[in-house]
Amino acid sequence: MARKGRLRELPLVSLEAVAAIGVATGTVALLEGVAPVTGLGVVYLLAVLLVASRHGEIAALATAVASVLTLNFFFIEPRHHLTISDSRNVAALGVFLIAGMVVSRLAAAVRQRAGESELRAHEAAARERESSLLAAVASSLLSEGPVEAQLSTPGGRLTDAVSRAGLRLELAPTPAPHEGEETVPLQLRSRRAWLYAMPDSGWHREELDRVAEPLAHLVDVAIDREEVAEHTAEAEAARRADVAKTAVLHAISHDLRSPLTAITTATGALSSGPLSEDDRRELLSVLRSESTRLARLVDDLLDLSRIEAGAVNPRPDWCDLHDTVASAAEHVRREHPEHQVELLVSADLPLVRADPAQMERVFSNLIENAVKFSPEDRPVRVSASVAGERVTVRVTDEGRGIPPTARSHVFEPFFRGRAGGAGSGLGLTISKGFVEANGARIQLDSRPGAGTSFAVSFPLVPQPAAPA
Amino acid sequence: MSNGARVLVVDDEPQILRGLRVVLRNAGYQVDVAATKAEALDAAAARPPDAMVLDLVLPDGSGVEVCREVRRWSGLPIIVLSAVGDVREKVKALDAGADDYVTKPFGSEELTARLRAVLRRAADADTEAAVTVGDLTIDLAARRVLVRGEEVHLTPIEFDLLRVLAVHRGKLVTHRQLLHEVWGPQYTDETHYLRVHVAHIRAKVEADASRPQLLVTDPGVGYRLQDPS
Repeated sequence: MARKGRLRELPLVSLEAVAAIGVATGTVALLEGVAPVTGLGVVYLLAVLLVASRHGEIAALATAVASVLTLNFFFIEPRHHLTISDSRNVAALGVFLIAGMVVSRLAAAVRQRAGESELRAHEAAARERESSLLAAVASSLLSEGPVEAQLSTPGGRLTDAVSRAGLRLELAPTPAPHEGEETVPLQLRSRRAWLYAMPDSGWHREELDRVAEPLAHLVDVAIDREEVAEHTAEAEAARRADVAKTAVLHAISHDLRSPLTAITTATGALSSGPLSEDDRRELLSVLRSESTRLARLVDDLLDLSRIEAGAVNPRPDWCDLHDTVASAAEHVRREHPEHQVELLVSADLPLVRADPAQMERVFSNLIENAVKFSPEDRPVRVSASVAGERVTVRVTDEGRGIPPTARSHVFEPFFRGRAGGAGSGLGLTISKGFVEANGARIQLDSRPGAGTSFAVSFPLVPQPAAPA
Repeated sequence: MSNGARVLVVDDEPQILRGLRVVLRNAGYQVDVAATKAEALDAAAARPPDAMVLDLVLPDGSGVEVCREVRRWSGLPIIVLSAVGDVREKVKALDAGADDYVTKPFGSEELTARLRAVLRRAADADTEAAVTVGDLTIDLAARRVLVRGEEVHLTPIEFDLLRVLAVHRGKLVTHRQLLHEVWGPQYTDETHYLRVHVAHIRAKVEADASRPQLLVTDPGVGYRLQDPS
């Protein structure tokens, strides 16, 4: 290939050499009168030098030989013959020829070195482009989101880095190059990916092959990292679920044992010997109230497990919140006759779609909670309003309020406030479960020292036609 | 035995206190009650009781902390009520100085029996040179062990182990406490030592080593030397 190139250049080189020799001959002819001809031979060296620097050693040697012949033919006695009469001139021409060879050797070496360094510079530029591509891809793959999403995000950091280099990177089972693009497969461990070079990107095939391997490693590492992160997150979630389950079991065991212990001790006490009438009455009331507490706890636990299993199955119907709230309030009043519950719910409140029995449980729980957490002389208020396409019922107490740190926990199972030790610790969890299963929302608003308000809100729906 | 002994009952459940008060009164005790850790410590200091029945879960702290506090100035017998079902909590309370525990829910006879046992031990303490349970007599001063009047030979380790249990007769002694007193503080996790040596002692002193009546196991917690039931 190199030889063929040089052959093709032959006429041009010859022409240049002839021209250079011609110019040198003209110059020597002009200067012949002022300097000895053998000294002027140096001018021909300039021609040799010129050819050597442009075309290498062989062309320069040829030029040197041609120069010697020309010098001899035109300027050395006898002129216009290729013979030499004076032996000193033979020596001079010999020296000139050697000088020409040395010059052409040196010039050629310089020229070769220049060529090499140009090649090196070119290679360095290519390597730099490759490594800056890899660096950009690495930093993006390892610091941003999921690999797949990054590769398919136009304008994302990764796609940007790759396309700035005139390339495209794709995770796909089969290659799909655009018109004129060169395709290089990436050898990934578990997926298939392709690197495409745009036609004018300036990447050579061997460069592409060279970057394909580290690029594949990078994508592999990023995919691995992603999988490990997913597994870690799953393991962490499982661990947390375990901790929560243990806490719930712990709480259940404690909560079932307390009423059971009260019942067994009261039973033991009833048969332990002589009892006053007061003792007997008190022990029987312990038995009654603790049995009720136990039964209620069991009901609550059943509800909780239904909620957690997603098996609440509400039966939505037209629900009159005025009626439902009144019934719930009556329920609580029977248990806590000492506490005042004010109802501020208008009878013409729009109907909502919800399971009325479950909503009664919700409002009983909320009102009872409010009663338990506020002083007896502070009434609990239940109010209702329609605003922003929602019907909202609010249960408000004037108790101590819930501290900010506890607010996010009040709906968790077995979370208890300071004063409400007797409850199952499940009322709010169950209320929230029922509310959400019915497509409604529950919200907490509390100011320490000023009281707490729970708001249950339902979407406002078109009302059914009034009966004829 | 229980004549007029004063018992302090500490539990935050008023319904449980109501029943316990009647049960203990009818068993012949005088009963004081407390509902929190602070009340319990105040009551114990103001009118030192003869024994304490202590719930492990209190609103202002743990029964374990009450045990630890009380033990700084008194050796009064303490029975903890554990609703936790968690062996670790029980062991902590016993290591902190409790004498025994009953698990909620418990029968009233169980509680009064345990109470009688710890009170008797408290009354006997310090006065005995020899401890007798059933047919077994341990002569602490002479380092001799007699079964139905005949001397049996125990290795020094076996005797030390039996001595610790005898000194705390009727009390549930935790693994940790036994290992600490017999082998030393650096051996408190080597519970397998106990299993081996207890088996040897049983073979020598029990009528039927496979159904021990005197040296009984409380699984996961410790051992107790007691009168056969």
